[in-house]
Amino acid sequence: MKTTSKLYRTEQRYAYLFIAAPVIGFLIFAMVPLIYSIYGAFTNWDGLGSMDFIGLENFINVFKDEYFYKSMFNTIYMMLGIPIGIVLALLLALALNRGIPGTNTFRVLYYIPVISSIAAISILWQWAYNGDYGLVNQFLAIFGVEGPNWLQNTSTVKPALIIMAVWKGLGYTMLLYLAALQSVPKSFYEAAKLDGANAFKSFWHITLPMVKPVTFFIIVTNIIGGAQIFTEINVMTPTGGPEYSSASVVFYIWQKAFGNFQLGYASAMALVLGLFIFIITLIQFKINEKNSFELD
Amino acid sequence: MSKSTKKLGSLILLTIMIIGSILAGCSNSSETSGKTKDGKTAITFMFRGQPQELKAYEATVKRYEKSHPDVKVTLVQVAPDQYDTKLKAAIAGKKIPDVFFYNPAQVKAYVNSGVLKDITEYVEGSENVNIEDIWEKGVAKYRFDGETLGQGAIYGLPKDLGPFALGYNKTMFEEAGIPLPDKDKPYTLDEFINVAQQLTKDKNGDGKSDQFGAGFNIQWALQPIAWSNGADWIDETGTKVTIDTPEFAEAVQWFADQQNKYKITPSIAEAQTLDTYQRWMKGELAFFPVGPWDMATYAEQLKFEYDLIPWPAGKTGKPAAWVGSLGIGVGATSKNAEAAAELALYLSADQEGNQALVDAQVQLPNSVTVAEQWAADTSIKPENKQEFLDIINDYGRGFPAEKTYTAEWYDEFFKNIQPVLDGKMTAEEYVKEAQPKMQKLLDAAIQQEKQAKK
Repeated sequence: MKTTSKLYRTEQRYAYLFIAAPVIGFLIFAMVPLIYSIYGAFTNWDGLGSMDFIGLENFINVFKDEYFYKSMFNTIYMMLGIPIGIVLALLLALALNRGIPGTNTFRVLYYIPVISSIAAISILWQWAYNGDYGLVNQFLAIFGVEGPNWLQNTSTVKPALIIMAVWKGLGYTMLLYLAALQSVPKSFYEAAKLDGANAFKSFWHITLPMVKPVTFFIIVTNIIGGAQIFTEINVMTPTGGPEYSSASVVFYIWQKAFGNFQLGYASAMALVLGLFIFIITLIQFKINEKNSFELD
Repeated sequence: MSKSTKKLGSLILLTIMIIGSILAGCSNSSETSGKTKDGKTAITFMFRGQPQELKAYEATVKRYEKSHPDVKVTLVQVAPDQYDTKLKAAIAGKKIPDVFFYNPAQVKAYVNSGVLKDITEYVEGSENVNIEDIWEKGVAKYRFDGETLGQGAIYGLPKDLGPFALGYNKTMFEEAGIPLPDKDKPYTLDEFINVAQQLTKDKNGDGKSDQFGAGFNIQWALQPIAWSNGADWIDETGTKVTIDTPEFAEAVQWFADQQNKYKITPSIAEAQTLDTYQRWMKGELAFFPVGPWDMATYAEQLKFEYDLIPWPAGKTGKPAAWVGSLGIGVGATSKNAEAAAELALYLSADQEGNQALVDAQVQLPNSVTVAEQWAADTSIKPENKQEFLDIINDYGRGFPAEKTYTAEWYDEFFKNIQPVLDGKMTAEEYVKEAQPKMQKLLDAAIQQEKQAKK
């Protein structure tokens, strides 16, 4: 049926108007800088004035730059927190979904870190990780464990950042799972029970597949976010950590751009990172398509 | 025309107006015309600092406005860790503040790219401020003739000079019955270790030391040792990284040995600055660096007496120390360069303003005469403030990267030094390994400088 009533057409115009606001905003504040930085990636732009076209030189240097690889490795390493966070969040969501007393309180408690400023949290955790007086080591001392100087040690600085990231993201992921769990029809579980499935089996064959779209969403957004990790590193290890072992790609890009007047080179790295994220996300969508199913 | 189309028309108009005003908001009208609405000269001042400093600067700006009733200054305060990013964003966006703080290491880059204004005529022609009275070495950091730093036109004035002296815990020495260090004769490196070892003690008898000789951060304390040992990071021409000399390796090794061999510092895991700083504050360290900006905190919180001495000296027998600085520059695109230069002068050398900062004990007086009176004033702790002035006048130097186009090559030195400090690698091996990497980055910086000059 074709709707061509006057009301419909007027509303359609209004709709475009409403859509226009974010679209124009996107064009001005995201698209233009994006295109500009793509151009910048092919120049020796220093951010002050000089900007000569130098072709692919920046990209060739990116792939020869040991600190680019190191920061890329650090970034990927720190994404180990993603599966850990997902498992923990799902377990928490399952527990809270059982309607135990105090559910609301727990929900609030787990959600507080999510809404707190990341810079403030980073400062708090920096104190907590302090080798001498930090909360973490004081806690470990109760069990007679002498904790390391977390942020000054090449082998502990990344795990320390991961722990913090998991803690910070837990509430958000948990809430998404909680919503997903509550939308699983109860009749499925009843049917499974009648067929003699135990708790684990119904979790494996009902709950997990039912929350899969949420899992997919979380993985995709977390990987995109994880690839751009910056603030906590900048606050907690302002020099990129011992032997540059906590520097992420974005941290390195930022140092190059704003510390060393190499905006062109930094743009090239940003472009490589952007493509990397794009490809990873594309692969995830392909995999997801293959494994997806539909309820009739 | 139907009613709804009219409505739509007005809505579109409204949207255009909103977007237009957002865009207009980006370019502050006073910046384009250089005037405020009521016809005053408008200038912006971008700065950073500790809370006491911010207050002192605000007061100085107010006084400036009072004596210049036709000028309106817009203050832009930026958090210290965001300052450089924001300044560079402002420069890239062609919105250079009229007056702003900047690091002396950036003089070359900012002059070459037309960010800084040559303010020589304003400074030398000023009636209110006598340039002769501001530290000559301070002003020299902001001189550049297009080729060499330290000479030629003035592109900024020092906000202050920050000589980094060595402090010692007087009370601890007295309790241990060790003769106090001589303020005129530096320790040799061996003497320093010897004294520090005597002061490293296990006071509560739990088998672990709880009082230490020192606890330096290599990033801020290696320079005096290396320099006084006759070594440096870079040669005089500014083109060659010279860390692979025996003198340099010796200095680095000595630095690492403080911990690994002589055990005069808290253990590896505790070597973080924050920790040693806290230990010093608690009176657990015999020696610790002191900058003028520390004085207020130390006066308030230290429960012991402290004083200043020269850093221990290596082979040359002469002490060395670094002098930091922050500059006040005028934007090259400023519409009101004269008023802006006047404000820069005011901030750097205004008597009252300077006095407020000195009273807050966060910096040295910028005026040589005031500084000398201040150093002689025994009511202000520490007693030997003259050491700060000696560093400026006699044996202080700028940071190694101050004269190069970027500091990347210098930062590289500290990036991978941890294994040496941990005793897993010798200093000799390290300097051999790091030199080529640093040289490559320095070459790149030189190349970058040439490019920017074109």
